[in-house]
Amino acid sequence: MKPRDRVLMALNHEVPDRCPMQVSFTPEFAARLEKDMNLGGEDKIHNPHGGGNTYELERSLGQDLLLTSVGWANSYYQEAKEYVDEWGIGWRSAEYETPFGVGRYTEMNIHPLAEDNAIEHYQAPDPNRPELYREAEWMLKTFKDEYWIVGVTVTTMFETAWALRGYERMLIDFALKPDLAERLLEIPYQYHLTAAKKLTQMGVDMIWIGDDIGAQHAMIISPKMWRKFFKPRMANFISELKSINPQVKVAYHSDGVVNPIIPDLIEIGLDVLNPIQPASMDPAKLKQEFGDKLCFWGSIDEQHTLPFGSADDVKTEVQTRLNTLGKKGGLIIGPTHHVQLDTPMENFWAMVNTIQQTPYSTL
Amino acid sequence: MEPIIKEIHTNVMEGNVTSVKANVQAAIDAGIPVSDILNDGMIAAMAEVGHLFEEGECFVPEMLIAARAMQTGLALLKPHLKNAEVVSAGKVVVGTVKGDLHDIGKNLVAMMLEGAGFEIIDLGTDVPAEKFVEAVRNQGAQIVAMSALLTTTMPSIKNTIDALNAAGLRGQVKVMIGGAPVTQNYANQVGADGFAPDASRAVATAKELMAT
Repeated sequence: MKPRDRVLMALNHEVPDRCPMQVSFTPEFAARLEKDMNLGGEDKIHNPHGGGNTYELERSLGQDLLLTSVGWANSYYQEAKEYVDEWGIGWRSAEYETPFGVGRYTEMNIHPLAEDNAIEHYQAPDPNRPELYREAEWMLKTFKDEYWIVGVTVTTMFETAWALRGYERMLIDFALKPDLAERLLEIPYQYHLTAAKKLTQMGVDMIWIGDDIGAQHAMIISPKMWRKFFKPRMANFISELKSINPQVKVAYHSDGVVNPIIPDLIEIGLDVLNPIQPASMDPAKLKQEFGDKLCFWGSIDEQHTLPFGSADDVKTEVQTRLNTLGKKGGLIIGPTHHVQLDTPMENFWAMVNTIQQTPYSTL
Repeated sequence: MEPIIKEIHTNVMEGNVTSVKANVQAAIDAGIPVSDILNDGMIAAMAEVGHLFEEGECFVPEMLIAARAMQTGLALLKPHLKNAEVVSAGKVVVGTVKGDLHDIGKNLVAMMLEGAGFEIIDLGTDVPAEKFVEAVRNQGAQIVAMSALLTTTMPSIKNTIDALNAAGLRGQVKVMIGGAPVTQNYANQVGADGFAPDASRAVATAKELMAT
């Protein structure tokens, strides 16, 4: 079965030969994996949000989705040390050590809209530059016949706005300066909407939007606040894409707990929810409650099982998900986040092999 | 309770900085005991915010604005605290561990602890073990509170505890930990004294540690 058919069946709540798979990695884990698989490692890294995926790696692993990204999320990992991205947001790096080597994360430390009046003169980058879409163009031409192509415009509103403004300042704005908060959200919203519309017109199969509004045990902001600031924009975003192509699917990423707003997400036409952190939301319960109206993507625990469990734990978790969240289709399985450098290689392969060697007919 | 204390309580809960400022100053000027303003007005309000947070009735923005209002009132009270019969709940060194740059959780813990009457020494983010050791040694902290958001930076928690041990300070300081992937089980494994799943519960943990 072609990867794209496998994904399409799953997203139509039908049962393909096996569950479709999508996996991303940090650049450090990707380098380790390339060595493990004897790959050339010459392909350019493309994945956003700190990812280190290459198309060579994704295709060699037998993934079913290929991603191409336009937007602020591409600002992660631009340079080794300090840098300022095209939005005027400043970045720094911190190193960490694992049993498998040293890695680093990039994080924002300069917020160009920290001052209230800075927004008056702020000029966001231009989302209409043709060079932003060359990779997508090439990808669609080369791989669309075989793979499910995802246009990524994550960090759609909240995350880019908080990078521009500063995280705590942005959260306080929601409570005390709602008009300013609306204006701040509007900047990345317009940028990513333009990009997502363009990618949809070009023929991607799915648009992936994202903003972390969940923490480990609760939402960061109240459902009421989410409905005020985010729901109308997300509803419009989805409807604009579907008016360009009614067949295009829309996936949304938020870490952590988002249960209270899932009915809202379904109401505004969301097709796929990612990443389903099992330490925050019970995947089996989500399937029971929302499985007929919503598909899921992710769900293999990156906080405990993959880094700290045994290969058997990983295998069991994959099988459990296939029997619950993935029952009768409706799931793209994979780790909840980029596979991190602290993950033992045998755990990684236990995940990939169990997914690929478990046909739906055996479940 | 004096009506103005009640007002300060409401002002803090609503995150109204201007009213907190005005009412705390008015209460000081009226000769109301500083300990009453602090304990019955501000600390009680923050405890209520924490309670609402645990119940899912209040979220991070509401907690942040309440903490900010509390800090404004506290700044006015500080010059008077030395003369008043106000005992600090304890001195806490906070920071995210080496390699970890994510500070919202740490900041919320610091704010809630401060709101409960603790003194805070905030070492910031990406804090090497030796800095925690130095702060405990030089500033007489009773608690070290550290966090890690990612599994890859969790080992720095253990390294910091080891460094406190090696410096011979472990006997005089309690260690509490938190962060998204951190659990009670992990706290037990690395020999931390306490764990809290969120900023509000961190206050209860810190109080328990001070009592033992």
